[in-house]
Amino acid sequence: MSVTRMMDGNEAAAWGAKLSRAEVIPAYPITPQTELISQIATLISEGIMDAEYIKVEGEHTAMAAAIGASVAGARVFTASASQGIAFMEEALWMPPGRRLPIVMCMVNRALAPIGGLRPDHNDALMQRDTGWIQLYCENSQEVIDTVIQSFKIGEDKRVYLPVAPCYDGYFVSATATPTTIPDQSEVDDFLPPYVHEMYNIMPGEHKPMDWPSDIAKARYEVEKAHERAKGIIEEVDKEFGKKFGRSYDGLIEEYNCDGAEAVLVTMGSMTGTARDVIDEMREKGKNIGLVKLKGFRPFPSEEFRELGKKYNAIAIVDRNNSYGSAGGGIVSMEVARALYALDDRPLLVNFQVGLGGSDVTMRQIEYMADETLEAVETGKVKSVVDWVELHDLGEVM
Amino acid sequence: MELNKLFDEYYEKSLIQGGTTCCPGCGGPLFWRLALEALGANTILYGDGPCASCAIRSIKLPTFGIHFSFAADGATGIAAALRVKGREDITLVSSAGDGATGDISFGKVSAAAERNENMIQICVDNEAYMNTGIQKSGLTPYGAWTTTTPLGKETPKKEIPMILAQHKIPYVATASVAYPKDFQRKIAKAKDIKGFKYFHSVIPCPTGWRFDPAKSIEVIRLGVQTWAWPLYEIEGGILKLTMKPRQRPIEDYLKAQNRFRHLTDDQVKYIQAETDQKQERLLEQDGKRIIF
Repeated sequence: MSVTRMMDGNEAAAWGAKLSRAEVIPAYPITPQTELISQIATLISEGIMDAEYIKVEGEHTAMAAAIGASVAGARVFTASASQGIAFMEEALWMPPGRRLPIVMCMVNRALAPIGGLRPDHNDALMQRDTGWIQLYCENSQEVIDTVIQSFKIGEDKRVYLPVAPCYDGYFVSATATPTTIPDQSEVDDFLPPYVHEMYNIMPGEHKPMDWPSDIAKARYEVEKAHERAKGIIEEVDKEFGKKFGRSYDGLIEEYNCDGAEAVLVTMGSMTGTARDVIDEMREKGKNIGLVKLKGFRPFPSEEFRELGKKYNAIAIVDRNNSYGSAGGGIVSMEVARALYALDDRPLLVNFQVGLGGSDVTMRQIEYMADETLEAVETGKVKSVVDWVELHDLGEVM
Repeated sequence: MELNKLFDEYYEKSLIQGGTTCCPGCGGPLFWRLALEALGANTILYGDGPCASCAIRSIKLPTFGIHFSFAADGATGIAAALRVKGREDITLVSSAGDGATGDISFGKVSAAAERNENMIQICVDNEAYMNTGIQKSGLTPYGAWTTTTPLGKETPKKEIPMILAQHKIPYVATASVAYPKDFQRKIAKAKDIKGFKYFHSVIPCPTGWRFDPAKSIEVIRLGVQTWAWPLYEIEGGILKLTMKPRQRPIEDYLKAQNRFRHLTDDQVKYIQAETDQKQERLLEQDGKRIIF
């Protein structure tokens, strides 16, 4: 029987791992991920969850132990954040290259020194080239559902890639919202036990791996797996929807976009706030919709080109920044590349906001929506990127 | 012809292939030949890169090779997976060189020991980063020339086996490929003990130590005979010297290697005094509990 109760994102992730029957969990504590792993320790100590929790001495070891366990045939879950993700970066390149479907929650938090304990997306986005699938979640319910889906996506033999469900520290990790815990037997039906066709390192059964000797070919295999993953993420989400009654529209979700001239594109927890602001603006007759970007890797380029055909302006709200990139945030750079292939390109507007975990307020979202509509009206974008927090926008709405 | 046949027959049954990509006179292939004879086929081998993996490449067992910043950690994951799968009958060996064990992965080996992971952690010690071209490691001995210590190393070698012993793990042993019986007995013993076992062996490196490859075994035998490389085991915290040779002057060992040829008489005297003190302490503590 499924149960619905108040639960924060970290507890939801722990339940996602439990329901997925993760077998090995090597983890090291870091704010704001700590409640996730202490929750797992509690579930194990109470006999609710059956897994090997390895209390490692650092994040580099957490990922390395995850790799070892995954190669040896265990389903592996772990989680980290911020400095921890940076510390394990050397190891993060291994699972995609070795095609290991490890699932790791990235509980987003800004990196030092210009930032604190609160969230922005640079910690996960700086791993964009490693080959991990990245799925950004908006609330606890999406976290629990995405963790379960992540195992199914990563372990699909057409994919065999590691998956990172990402969610904002505090705003999602520590904010309790009503969350439904799916029934264990239904999850068991949805997610069969982990079997990796490429690996078996048991003595006597061992076969040497058949790697392409050509480096370019091996890398191309990973790239192709990412391309295939786009379809599989949608397929798994649909199947999940049928079984559990909740789905997330795959890589991107269009919200209240009917008849809109422009869209705001958000990622993570700010999407919840943006939904309310956009609803109010639509009621006032302003023609702007919302697009939630869930899948950053693989990047939904084709979907963005479709948006580009439908809307006159696409405004990217980046909760990150890339120093020296001539101003734009990381998501906007990806979107610009995707849109370049269109003959008739929409205006591309870029905002940077919520850096280092400062609140993204309703007033700021209204401001960004108005600026975008003004760009549509004038046919001009004022600047490559607008650092929203540098403006005094008056009272918080 | 007879000799060829002998080799062929041996390597057909052996868990290591004949032929090697290692330097002439390298102790690595010999190390693995001895170790694998004692370990048997029901073994998984996790190991770090460089010199150690030149030999690991030709091992006919499930092996998982990775960079040397990953000592013991991936094996920790494999150990957990073996518990999950109820396959603790399998011997798990985690190998690393001296640079991984003493420097970049020192914390990892220490942490795996503290968690008492069920594995044999091996240190294949050739006393420097040899694969990258002879650079000093924390396990390079005092006075030795390397390409990053052109005037000789100024600080002593880290005593890793003694440090690991203080983690209160069930078994620690030192070995030398010049003494195969002692070597194999210790590996076999480690295999039968549950928990974290640490096995530290010296291997000769003619390329880095600067001597004639034909003299490999002779040189490391001198290491044991001069007490530069004492052979012992620490089981349940009790130290036991497994070989107590009549001490030869340290000069015999140093003179056999050109990495020490620049040493002054005073430096040689200093090394002799340090070695004497080590020998004295070891003999004093032989048979006693040495952990705190």
